[in-house]
Amino acid sequence: MAISLRNLSVDYSLSQGTAHALRGVSLDIQKGELLGLVGESGSGKSTVAFALMGLLANNAKVTSGTATIDGKSFDLTKRNATAALRGRGMAMIFQDPMLSLNPVFTIGTQLCEVLRRRAPNGDRKTRVAMAEDALDKVKLSNPRRRMNQYPHELSGGMRQRVVIAMALLSEPALLIADEPTTALDVTVEAQIMREIISLRDRIGCAVLLITHSLGLVTEYCDKLSVLYAGERLESGTVREVQRQPGHPYTRMLFDCEVPIDRERHADASENRFTVISGDLPDPRRRPPGCIFNGRCDVSFDECATINPDDYPVGNDAGHSARCLRLRAS
Amino acid sequence: MTDAISISNAQLRFGETAALDGVSLAIPQGTCFGIVGESGSGKTTLMRAVLGLQKLDQGEIRILGNPLVHSRAALKQRASFIQPIFQDPAASLSPRSRIRTLMNEVGTVLREPHAAMHERLRVILDRLGLPPGVIDKYPHEISGGQARRVAIARALLMKPSILIADEPTAGLDVSVQGDLLNLLQDIRRSDSITLVVISHNLAIVRLIAENAVVMRAGKVVEGGEVGSLFKSPREAYTRELLAAWPGVTQSGVSG
Repeated sequence: MAISLRNLSVDYSLSQGTAHALRGVSLDIQKGELLGLVGESGSGKSTVAFALMGLLANNAKVTSGTATIDGKSFDLTKRNATAALRGRGMAMIFQDPMLSLNPVFTIGTQLCEVLRRRAPNGDRKTRVAMAEDALDKVKLSNPRRRMNQYPHELSGGMRQRVVIAMALLSEPALLIADEPTTALDVTVEAQIMREIISLRDRIGCAVLLITHSLGLVTEYCDKLSVLYAGERLESGTVREVQRQPGHPYTRMLFDCEVPIDRERHADASENRFTVISGDLPDPRRRPPGCIFNGRCDVSFDECATINPDDYPVGNDAGHSARCLRLRAS
Repeated sequence: MTDAISISNAQLRFGETAALDGVSLAIPQGTCFGIVGESGSGKTTLMRAVLGLQKLDQGEIRILGNPLVHSRAALKQRASFIQPIFQDPAASLSPRSRIRTLMNEVGTVLREPHAAMHERLRVILDRLGLPPGVIDKYPHEISGGQARRVAIARALLMKPSILIADEPTAGLDVSVQGDLLNLLQDIRRSDSITLVVISHNLAIVRLIAENAVVMRAGKVVEGGEVGSLFKSPREAYTRELLAAWPGVTQSGVSG
């Protein structure tokens, strides 16, 4: 069952006016697929997750958007549209695992709670056994002891494993992971990503990985969507996008990544780093034309007036980008 | 030439944990030195010890050949040649005072006339790409990238010969982190500063440092010239760190 998000637009009302955080964002994730949603700060990537989960702040308003999850459609402009899916059809892993864990309950209580919500009639013994099994599956050492521990007794990586175990127990159709490894060390990051992937393999859910790290996406994801200033500029398979970026912003983002095997100048002080100059446009007043126009290195006159459609890139049907240079010639 | 910083057998315990467990290293003047390692490896504790903000249980630290002395006068004197840029720039800026107040402190410490100090500040701000008006702002009115530049401007205003940067790019977007690194590279070249970069970002340290050490649980696991350290690491832990690095590899782009 595919997950699809259509034409999502979200406004935030601020004291200085209305910020249009997302404008017409659409995403498609197939069952068992890992989609990486990349964007820099202010691109609105977390707003996508919060709009899907129905966790937006009070000053946010969804002005358009429909989500189709497990064959059912949800009108996201309605408050609490997806409430029925939270903890059943959808699960979320936050950057800070403490946002998902209650500090005053033991790990065991919180895991059993997930099961109780799914199957209110089951008995306690089965739940405890299932919870322990889940902790074991996410490779948390000594699951029986962990069940009686409180979140503060665990390290950051261990807490994130507990949250993944919770997601595992709720068997969601869609798992949203919002910067799940940003606060963790590289070796722990690799372990957590492996656990997310094995969870996906085990229950066959769709995964939306929200991150600012292209490295993480190219290493672990199947598909990639690039968000910039609230608009989706490109999407396609990781392989195709990396091989032939359709949008200049995507190309520039890849150029800014520092590969671990980049050629190194013998005189270290000669090594330079790539930068995307300029600033994000004001989210309250979208300039006409292409949203990336002001910072683009290959823009031309029309880019300032025409807002580009989504054009196909190369021969791959699933690869498209919003750049006027891709107009069929 | 004497080393900018030399540390021999630094030991420090916080209760049960050994934060520094026999660390020895030497940082030659005018070079960039990288300290990499995961959280809890002792990178930041080592920096604090070098700045004289943290006393060692045992061992010796020499800065430009002179042993580190813990006294207020020595701390103040040291500030004129060794300067930190802390991990969280916002934490080194007082939320209640304008940036101008912070900069004026530098003049007080250096006993430099106000006008002369502000003339130097104007040049530094311009070089860091900060608008002159930034000094009249409060820390909450500027962006994270700007706050980091302000912290660098303050450090440079002290005319240090050694600059220690703790995670200089943490929390910055890839599109702006390059800007900051290029800036550090420029400063190094024009002012022949000794730069110490503490980071968990192996790819960056590999490119800007001449020498580096890998730390784990308060120990130096491995160290040496960066090229060979990263190309053929001798220790299993260094290899593990490199293998875990997620990344857009050059080979990945071409294939």
